Amino acid sequence: MKLADPETKPLSRLNDSVDAGWTRLLGLGRIEGGVRRMLILVVVAFAVFAALKPSIFLSGTNLRNIALNSPEIGVIAIAMMLAMLTGGIDLSLVAMANLSAITMSTMFTAVAAGDPALAEQLFPVILLAGIAVGVLGGVINGLLISGLGITPILATLGSMQIYNGIAVAWTGGKTLYGSPSALTAIGSSTVAGIPILFYVFVLVAVAIGVVVTRTPLGLRIQLQGANPTAARYSGIASRKILLSTYVLTGLLSGIAGVLFIARNPTASADYGASYVLLVIVIAVLGGTNPNGGFATVLGVVLATLTLQIVSSGFTAMRLSAYQYAIAQGLILVAAMAFEQVRWRRRRRSRKPAVQPG
Amino acid sequence: MSGASLAIPDRLRLLRGANNEGVLAVVLLALIVAMSIANPAFFTLPTAFSILRSSIVPLIFALGVLMVIISGGIDVSFAAIAVFAAYTTVRALQSGTPDLGLIGAFALALLIGASLGVINGFLIAKFRLPTLIVTLGTQGIFKGALLTYVGSRYIADLPASMAQVSTTNLFEVSTPTGSAYLHILVVPAVLLAIGLAWVLRSTMFGRSIYAIGGDVEAARRAGIRVMRTQVAVYVIAGTMAAAGGMIYVIMGRSASPQILVGSELDIIAAVVLGGASIFGGRGSVLGTTLGVILVQVIYNSLILAGVPSAWQRTAVGVLLIIGVGIQAVASRRSSRASVIDETYQKQEVPA
Repeated sequence: MKLADPETKPLSRLNDSVDAGWTRLLGLGRIEGGVRRMLILVVVAFAVFAALKPSIFLSGTNLRNIALNSPEIGVIAIAMMLAMLTGGIDLSLVAMANLSAITMSTMFTAVAAGDPALAEQLFPVILLAGIAVGVLGGVINGLLISGLGITPILATLGSMQIYNGIAVAWTGGKTLYGSPSALTAIGSSTVAGIPILFYVFVLVAVAIGVVVTRTPLGLRIQLQGANPTAARYSGIASRKILLSTYVLTGLLSGIAGVLFIARNPTASADYGASYVLLVIVIAVLGGTNPNGGFATVLGVVLATLTLQIVSSGFTAMRLSAYQYAIAQGLILVAAMAFEQVRWRRRRRSRKPAVQPG
Repeated sequence: MSGASLAIPDRLRLLRGANNEGVLAVVLLALIVAMSIANPAFFTLPTAFSILRSSIVPLIFALGVLMVIISGGIDVSFAAIAVFAAYTTVRALQSGTPDLGLIGAFALALLIGASLGVINGFLIAKFRLPTLIVTLGTQGIFKGALLTYVGSRYIADLPASMAQVSTTNLFEVSTPTGSAYLHILVVPAVLLAIGLAWVLRSTMFGRSIYAIGGDVEAARRAGIRVMRTQVAVYVIAGTMAAAGGMIYVIMGRSASPQILVGSELDIIAAVVLGGASIFGGRGSVLGTTLGVILVQVIYNSLILAGVPSAWQRTAVGVLLIIGVGIQAVASRRSSRASVIDETYQKQEVPA
């Protein structure tokens, strides 16, 4: 026994390494519960509408519309997910996006009045200015939340009113027309049949996914949301993390503002008023825990697609926007209740194993 | 316990109120004084009555929201419930149902509001879901169901019994600047405020709401029936929303399914401004009333000051940020102070 069989030792080592490799491979292929559920939902929703109304639902126009509508909502939903990841919420996202779109439209119109060609050339500057407005809004939110210590829901409720009020006063409640034609061209062109805006969406999603899962900042954001006290005791500068999070959500709002104006060369204060609540629905549906600590970008992307598929499917079946509102509410409540019941059952079934006797 | 025996700091604290009602009252008074100096047209009975009139519906909504917030929740579905109840009632009265009279109409609306509240309460208490998410979902369901199954038409003519109330005034006073009318529907708003204040302060149910909002687990262990209380809170909130919706419809003399929804956050802002804690367990009817009136006074003074009405939302947003900002900074300071207190006490014990 003392002498280990020279034959078996390398074999067992090989076995071990194969085992470890296999586990790692399984880990890569393993899909989080929320994401798996969303994958099923996307496929089911698509299959149902494709079966019920194939002539309209599967038409190129309809599919392109889904791909065109998703990016702006999806980007804002990802921003909402980030805020929820820290256990907060950001109600001011849509207001910031509108303010960014209004800034771009106003800047373009002002320059174009003097020199239309110059206005077209200044396109990158205008774009950056729009995004900068979003970042500025995010900085203000972040300072209110991390500096003054105001609860996120109240801070962003207040800043939403302020940003929206500024937008209303600025535009006088009217819709502004005019944006660089380069931006409109990007918004209306496709590559390989897929709108460029959708590629932007995917790019943003991948970038935020990398930030959340692969960078120290993302790890700290997750920890902060999972357990703020533990985060503080493990030396995480909570205030700095919160500030960065809300700057990031502001940045995403700025990008959403660019998407708004790329799709339609107009900007107004009340565009996308229904998005505020819609993106909360999407974020939660995508497996984001509103109490913080858990979320996946992929889940949120899939939830965005699901709701867009349901929305366009309803249109294809000639159901009204109001019936879509009912469906949206039912999906949200059902998904949450299902999750809760399953979670409770799992906890209950684990209990007897722990208790002796 | 007589006032004279209290030290001055204690008396100041008493004036300040448990939820900073005193501070709010001072701000309100200062605003009124400043506006009256700046514009004599402000300090008149017609202005006061019109502010009261415009506070009626927001106050009733705010009282329902207050109760939910004290219980530790948040309700964004009340506007949808209000429209659903009021519009359905008007629609039912119009299409053949004999005129039930004002009381009958209100009873029907309140019944509808209570049933919708049961749905909220059931989902929240049974599945223990986050209240914001549930009421967000039910808001969509209620509004969608109203527009799909009840109707989407604008109704310009109310049943006679309801239309009559819209022009009834409690009393009118003639002043040099013109007659001032106080609308009759101020009465139910005031009664509701007094009633809720009594319930919250002096009944077992009211104290349970505070207890649940303070700490659910502690409330449960203290023997409070959490589920039953929570359902009751949402049923009452739904009923109050329905009452607010009916009064809105009567005062506007028309019914449309598109009204009110979208103004939820403004009401919540007023309640929070009134000192209610968004985490639950704290808040008062007096504070909420002051918060609602403060918002209305600001709206009114902005108009009188010639500021475009577009800036109203911004003004309320700034006010909200200042209000909760001061509270946040103060609570952070006091929590730091209490930590110092504790360590101080701990040091004293062995000695």
